Amino acid sequence: MSLRDTGRQVRLRRTGRVPSDARVRHYDELDDDEQGVVRELAGEPWTAPETGDLGDGDVVKFTEYYLVRSR
Amino acid sequence: MSDSYVIVGDGIAGASAAETLREEAPDAEITVLTDEGESLYNRILIKEYAKGKLPEAPISIHQEDWYDEHDVDLRLNTVVVDIDVENDAVHTHEGETFEYDSLLLAIGGTPQQLPVENADADGIHHFWTFQDARNIKESVEGAEKGVIVGAGLLGIDFAAICGAQDVEAKYLMRGDNWWRYALSEEGAEIMHEAMRERGVEPVFDSGVDRFEVDDDGHVEAAVDPNGERYECDFAGVAIGLNFNTELVEDTPLEIDDGIVVDEFMRTNVDNVYAAGDITSFNDLILGEQAKNGSWGSAKEQGTIAARNMVEYGSEAFEWVSSYSITHFDFPFLSFGHPTLGDDSVEATTAESEWRRVALKDGKVVGGVLIGDLSPQSAFKQLMREGRDVSDQKDRLMEPGFSVDDLAAPTEQ
Ligand SMILES: Cc1cc2nc3c(=O)[nH]c(=O)nc-3n(C[C@H](O)[C@H](O)[C@H](O)COP(=O)(O)OP(=O)(O)OC[C@H]3O[C@@H](n4cnc5c(N)ncnc54)[C@H](O)[C@@H]3O)c2cc1C
Repeated sequence: MSLRDTGRQVRLRRTGRVPSDARVRHYDELDDDEQGVVRELAGEPWTAPETGDLGDGDVVKFTEYYLVRSR
Repeated sequence: MSDSYVIVGDGIAGASAAETLREEAPDAEITVLTDEGESLYNRILIKEYAKGKLPEAPISIHQEDWYDEHDVDLRLNTVVVDIDVENDAVHTHEGETFEYDSLLLAIGGTPQQLPVENADADGIHHFWTFQDARNIKESVEGAEKGVIVGAGLLGIDFAAICGAQDVEAKYLMRGDNWWRYALSEEGAEIMHEAMRERGVEPVFDSGVDRFEVDDDGHVEAAVDPNGERYECDFAGVAIGLNFNTELVEDTPLEIDDGIVVDEFMRTNVDNVYAAGDITSFNDLILGEQAKNGSWGSAKEQGTIAARNMVEYGSEAFEWVSSYSITHFDFPFLSFGHPTLGDDSVEATTAESEWRRVALKDGKVVGGVLIGDLSPQSAFKQLMREGRDVSDQKDRLMEPGFSVDDLAAPTEQ
């Protein structure tokens, strides 16, 4: 199970340029919980509890590129 | 003496096996042999590189120092040409022999060429490796007109690459819609429209009869079986994979559209295992032999194979695979085995949202979701549970469907 309670919230911000040193993951590499978070937050100004190992600064390729912000 | 493991293939299946073996057998000797010139990279992101959306660096997953740190002997550019299961050894093209206590074959597939005139001309591309992606990117950046062949999950990557690189393309399909084995015309039309918006025109009841080349041997047109000629300076061919079973043809290993393994990823030879795209595995969820061609499944099979190589029977592979398309402004996901089954139910659930679920003996075996992926977990759960939903199929089509919407299963 990848859900862990870190007390942090994640947000996804659409990004145009992907830095060379970013860790980039495709939607299909994520587990079920992480995919759920991406579906819920992509394109929305909401936050969700941090899950799995989607961490601050990661980039996810879904219908757009999204930068993960974790606070 | 410690055990020695040899893994052929450093794709995601072979690499995840190496990682798991190192965790489970800290003292083992682990050797990974690959015919590619680079260590594990992200095969499902190379299309983004070819589209010009992603730099090279983030596509690498294991740098070569990963192998040193994990005490794994990695041999690049090493082609295994023979497996001697009687003497527990593999032989390479370069003349080396590697002996093993346990062997893993994670050798994947190779794209098929069209059996037509000039199919290997310059400018005609197949897509499997990072090197292919570099060649495609270079070729497509200098191209004006493209032709794409192969109406499936890899063909649409070529369509997206042409769209992203401003190449006006014709997508020649044999039937009357894209991925006709999994989608009806109604669902496929959403995909066709997305292609058209990117300058890629689907052409139905078509295909390629031959390619024409210029004086330098570079592709200049594709001619379809109806005699229509489509000019192009770039062509992408994705008509399917040949699984790399040639390597095991002269061995006692059982082959049937891949290397046959049980649910523990073991072949009919006790100390030989296989994982990833190459396997025809005992699918415990489907209840028959099956094949998967997706990243998540290959990774999981590598992990499971490694655990069973250390201790046979320790963990079975039980997994619902999925494969998404993220090129458009709506998502697409296929899960399980969408082309199988004896029944199906489909619906347009909202504008540009469509779904289809395939059933066998009343149970969900796979499906396709376009636009709204929210029920993906519910459908995967139904597959894992093997729930008979034959008398409530329509509920599967309700927006926001969840497993709780179904009537409780009755005691048999
Ligand atoms: C362009 C593209 C896009 C894709 N997109 C997606 C996607 O979006 N989502 C998804 O889930 N899946 C996707 N896939 C499929 C996914 O990448 C594969 O299912 C997965 O990578 C298979 O992994 P594998 O390790 O089984 O095989 P492979 O990655 O094919 O690895 C096999 C390795 O073995 C090597 N090898 C073979 N024979 C020998 C030999 N004799 N000696 C030495 N080495 C050998 C090969 O060179 C290769 O490196 C895509 C595939 C491609 C090509």
